[in-house]
Amino acid sequence: MDNGTSNSASENETITLKSCDGIEFHIDARIANRYTLLNNWNGGESACIPNVNGKVLEKVLEWCEHHINDPQLNCGDDDSRRRNTIIEEWDENFLSCDQDMLFEIILAANYLEIKPLLDLGCKTVANMMKSKSPEEIRSAFNIDNDYTPEEEEQFRKENEWAEDY
Amino acid sequence: MEKLPNECYEITFYNLCHKDLFSCALVNRRWCRNTIPILWSEPEHHFSNIRLIRVLLLMLNVEEQVLLIPLNLRLPTHQKPLFEYTSYITSIKCHLYGGIKKLFPRIKSGTKNEVGNAVKCSLYAMFLRTGKNLKHLYIDEIIYNQFIFKNLYECTTITSVDLYLPHNIDDYFKSKAIDVLVKTIRKNSTLASLKVNSTKFGFERVETVLEALYNNTVINSLSLYDSHISAEEGKMLAMFLYMKTTITSLTLCGGEESWSLYGV
Repeated sequence: MDNGTSNSASENETITLKSCDGIEFHIDARIANRYTLLNNWNGGESACIPNVNGKVLEKVLEWCEHHINDPQLNCGDDDSRRRNTIIEEWDENFLSCDQDMLFEIILAANYLEIKPLLDLGCKTVANMMKSKSPEEIRSAFNIDNDYTPEEEEQFRKENEWAEDY
Repeated sequence: MEKLPNECYEITFYNLCHKDLFSCALVNRRWCRNTIPILWSEPEHHFSNIRLIRVLLLMLNVEEQVLLIPLNLRLPTHQKPLFEYTSYITSIKCHLYGGIKKLFPRIKSGTKNEVGNAVKCSLYAMFLRTGKNLKHLYIDEIIYNQFIFKNLYECTTITSVDLYLPHNIDDYFKSKAIDVLVKTIRKNSTLASLKVNSTKFGFERVETVLEALYNNTVINSLSLYDSHISAEEGKMLAMFLYMKTTITSLTLCGGEESWSLYGV
């Protein structure tokens, strides 16, 4: 059965990727074939992934390796992704890192167009915002409030309907 | 979080309910700009919330406000809203009618319909004027209002219309509404899904609607609900379905005495 990973690479084939800070990774060629950008940079002996450092690339590749046999979902169906924030245990543990690393993983997944990892990272961040007040969210993500009091008041009035069930 | 691009914010916020989106929008201006299009894209059951209806009334232009003058309705007088919120709405659902009713809790039931229709007309005119992302429209007999149908014919975002003609409306208004429906089927170039819920359609009206549908190649999903359809109308419909090849999804529903069929 075609599980969506069919490609020309065999299980034993490996390719070498190099992070922007020069760290090399020897990965299963099927991973590169699955994600276009990783594949595009496979120029033979080794290929450099700009903008992603070794520490982050290691995590991204660890995730790709764990999910190598997942069926490939139709990425066009945005509705199926909406408001479904259930995360598998392995993924939850995988993303139980510090916030900086979590955001770096999201950035790398976005940059490398690894859609399922991008969705997973964003879901994890969304779960950190759930049921929190604006002040609690600001404090959780270290964000400054740049509203004027008048603006904030007007915004509240115009959108307070969303607070009701 | 601040170094993430806006597209990552968008994916993140799509995972949140309206209440959480409201909190996120209050975090700061950037979060607000990224949240508002999602918060307002599908207000769903919140359309029945009078607080939302009052905000919608703030966005009427002068012509739309004129429709409300005979009602002596005291319109909210806040300053101009921070965003053109209605431009983000993708779907108008039937819950809106419940919300409008709450504006007039003390009006006698005899005039309630008239007053409610005037508010509906002004709001729908505004939705069609500002709705850059409007895809689905639930609407009743007010479809024949000139502020609505002109925009409906030309609207290029709407892909789905759900027309509900209640059993108690005057036959004259029902005919006018069906005229507009027929013209919409003929003129609108994006409408792909049509649902009509009515009673006692009548042979001639069924014939006109089916003729318009026959010449339309965009509509691929059709739902017809009529609890009083005659055998002749049923035959005509069967013939239409036999000849029409561009309909890929069909739902027919009638009362016990007529027919009942669900199909694809």
